[in-house]
Amino acid sequence: MESSDAALVTRVLHGDVNAYGALVSRYRDRYARYAVHMLGNREDAEEALQDAFTRAYRSLARCEEPERFGAWLFRILLNRCRTSGARRVRRGQTFVHDEGALMKASQEHPAEQTMWREEIERAIGELSADQREAFLLKYVEDLGYDEMAEITGVGVSALKMRVMRACDRLRTLLREVHSG
Amino acid sequence: MAEWGRTTLELIVGELQQPVRLDASFERRVMVRVRRLHAQRRRRGVASWLGVVSRVTHHPGWAAALAAGIVAIVTLGVMRTRPAPTALAGAPREPVQFVLVRPDARSVAVVGDFNDWGLNDSALVATNHQGVWSVTAPVPAGVHRYAFVVNGKEWVADPSAPRSAGDDFGMPSSALVVEDSTK
Repeated sequence: MESSDAALVTRVLHGDVNAYGALVSRYRDRYARYAVHMLGNREDAEEALQDAFTRAYRSLARCEEPERFGAWLFRILLNRCRTSGARRVRRGQTFVHDEGALMKASQEHPAEQTMWREEIERAIGELSADQREAFLLKYVEDLGYDEMAEITGVGVSALKMRVMRACDRLRTLLREVHSG
Repeated sequence: MAEWGRTTLELIVGELQQPVRLDASFERRVMVRVRRLHAQRRRRGVASWLGVVSRVTHHPGWAAALAAGIVAIVTLGVMRTRPAPTALAGAPREPVQFVLVRPDARSVAVVGDFNDWGLNDSALVATNHQGVWSVTAPVPAGVHRYAFVVNGKEWVADPSAPRSAGDDFGMPSSALVVEDSTK
């Protein structure tokens, strides 16, 4: 039977470092998805996720609800993505597509679907970081507004506004593409 | 393209929800970092789990005491386990984390001269994290005596800290020196 997060955290705190590997394995792909969409490329996403796992390990004793390790880790990753995003803006970099994912998609999907996917990736990259974060949490991670507020530290009303604006912006961006 | 609406949003979300798979080297890279931290931690002592330790005195009986589940450590970088000559009158308060590993306990509270040895101080009631009881509370800079009270009646001194010279109320207690971080 698969160990619970709480059981694995307890084992790690008692010196079983291998138990942490199970937690990494459990959350890496799901959280990689968020980081890739948030940061726009696999390299930055992997770096952010690696950093989040390391920070979480270092502070594990301060995880007050070990049964909710995943949510706690996600909060660390979210903050790490914010920092990484801010750094990228300061460096003046532009949003970069996940070329590896696009290549894979082009092999697996018909050309039209690949194009659609590229446009979505591009449009998501055009959103402001706040809007992108709110949109991904709401629709891709499927979180409720209360949970989003807890994780982001942003009020529910502000989050609803960001999601609405993100949807408006996506509508405009994707309509431009398909009417042009 | 379909009209923008629920369906289009679902298409977008469907694309974004496609799994992103990292290769196996990712996990290896994370675990290399983690094992390095684990090794550093072992060299410094288990207390550094608290993550903010700048200095902790190691108790020789740590491993045995941990196995017995009766270990406590106070940290946050403001503690020194050697006695200081005087307490500081009107001193600023510094955060101190009290930790007791006691899986069999139903409740754990911290009492000390900084709360008049009062069991009813909710600020010093520890929270249970899988048998690791902890509470962080502001304690005035200076020299203090403290102890843990388990299940409301069992008085436990901190085995990793020096015992205080004179046990208050005939009960065992430990010595704590909180330094003023503003100096």
